[in-house]
Amino acid sequence: MMEYTLDELMIATMAHQFSGEVMVSSVTAFGALAALVAKKTHAPELAVLATPESGMEVTPLPTLTLGQFLTDVQRGIPLTMEEIFDAIFCDLFRIWINPAQIDQFGNVNISAIGPWQQPKVALVGSRGIPEDTSHLSQIFYYVLHHNPRSVVSRVDFRSGAGNGPERDQLLGRSGAPTLLVTDLGVFTFSGPGGSMAIVSLHPGVAAEMVQERTAFPIAGLTDSFAITPEPTTEELEIIRTADPLEVRKLELLSGDKAAEKFVAIYERERQALHVAWPTRSRI
Amino acid sequence: MNKTLTAEAMMNQIPDGASITIGGSSLSRKPMALVRALARSGRKNLTLIVNVGGPEVDLLLGLGVITKVIYAFVGFEVMGLAPNFRRARQNSNVTFEEWTEYTVMAGLDAAIKRVPFLPTRAGLSTDVLTVNPSFRTITDPFGGETLVAVPAIHPDFALIHVNYADERGNGVILGDGHIDVLCAKAAKTTFMSCERILHGDELQRFGRDVQIMRIHTQGVAELPWGAHPTGCAPEYRADLRHMEEYMEATGDLERWHAYQDRMVWVDHEQYLDRMGGRESMVSRLHV
Repeated sequence: MMEYTLDELMIATMAHQFSGEVMVSSVTAFGALAALVAKKTHAPELAVLATPESGMEVTPLPTLTLGQFLTDVQRGIPLTMEEIFDAIFCDLFRIWINPAQIDQFGNVNISAIGPWQQPKVALVGSRGIPEDTSHLSQIFYYVLHHNPRSVVSRVDFRSGAGNGPERDQLLGRSGAPTLLVTDLGVFTFSGPGGSMAIVSLHPGVAAEMVQERTAFPIAGLTDSFAITPEPTTEELEIIRTADPLEVRKLELLSGDKAAEKFVAIYERERQALHVAWPTRSRI
Repeated sequence: MNKTLTAEAMMNQIPDGASITIGGSSLSRKPMALVRALARSGRKNLTLIVNVGGPEVDLLLGLGVITKVIYAFVGFEVMGLAPNFRRARQNSNVTFEEWTEYTVMAGLDAAIKRVPFLPTRAGLSTDVLTVNPSFRTITDPFGGETLVAVPAIHPDFALIHVNYADERGNGVILGDGHIDVLCAKAAKTTFMSCERILHGDELQRFGRDVQIMRIHTQGVAELPWGAHPTGCAPEYRADLRHMEEYMEATGDLERWHAYQDRMVWVDHEQYLDRMGGRESMVSRLHV
């Protein structure tokens, strides 16, 4: 067994969820790498994109600025936004969403902390999450810092629809939350009333630590849980080869360390791209 | 037929109070040179309509010329939150209307198709429907299901930036298309900047990459690096170092005014000089 880090454990766990001939957007480094690992191991039919909206049939390379250039140098298939949303509406699309808040019923928030009209912190806006949570048969979330501010009893704003009577009446199961992967474990929303329940805890994580870092009582909490499988050597090699600049680490870092890493990646990523895919001539 | 205009001549046609939709997506292919020209024009009380907004929304909010923003997202992606947007959302008289990515597209599409609304399920069981007064729920007349009615969005103007254009107003987009085609079709008047103006027969060699059709375009301007500090694939990437400088400048009023003097209240050539000139930009940003 090779040594691995938390980001690699989470990415491999996320990869295990992908299956079938569906489109997968590369929105975050974690999501892009999870899709690549799945495609190279158990899910070769996946149609992985280079960017959130385009570049089908490429090998994604996590970068800060080069997603669309990847489409160009690898001659990925250029798609349109209409094609992306048609794939979502037809349930032929999967995505790992990284919300600011997720609650006990799997509602998610990326719009505002505090009341939407007078936010304490205005975030970015719901983007395409309402589309995902009304149409897809599988919805995947990941949270990097599981704590009572991110895993909350009720989100301040529902950017994406979780479980509950309103969803049952208006949407049925389309777009309902499937799975949450955090730095502590793997969770479903199959507890009482569609509430969060534990599937497995990561190696070394105790049930009481999860409860301490969750803002609501977790249903069915006992001391014995499955342990999240560790990433295989093959999975680790795929992740490390595809992300030589370690863009994936940025999502977990903060402060000066994040700033240093950010600059290093930004200055080196063009070279990394050209080494992997020599530039073809243009007009 | 020659629709070439200077950016300044385009902005002279935009009145106070106009509604303007802007193409591109967050840090990709935003028509920033046109947006800076709009800022210099002194136009105010503007409504902005964006799908995935970024530095264009943030800059215009920071200049106080916006009264309303329709958006699905405004942010700087890997760089974090957009500072002026965040400040305005938390404390200002600007009206914000949160839509979603597809509903912005559907609103523009409804305008193009000359129908009052288009139906969707997107938004059901979310708070977008609670805070956005523009949406209604309706009952499907065939099956009785509850759906969201997305009203048509009718922008007065569209601003977009593309790789190549001809003088007639056809435009080539080589990277991701985002929603620029919808913006160009839905707006009453579309102004387009481009990296380079090509002859018509040269442009037509791009086949399906000619995404903007001249029947929708009223003005064209050649503005190389016109998307900077956002990127324009496959030529140059987003200038994240400049974005850092921008974000720092929004931190206090003095620095913000100094930034405006240096980077906004100058013409496009001077702007490129202040960025270190074209040669330096090529070495830092060309891919």
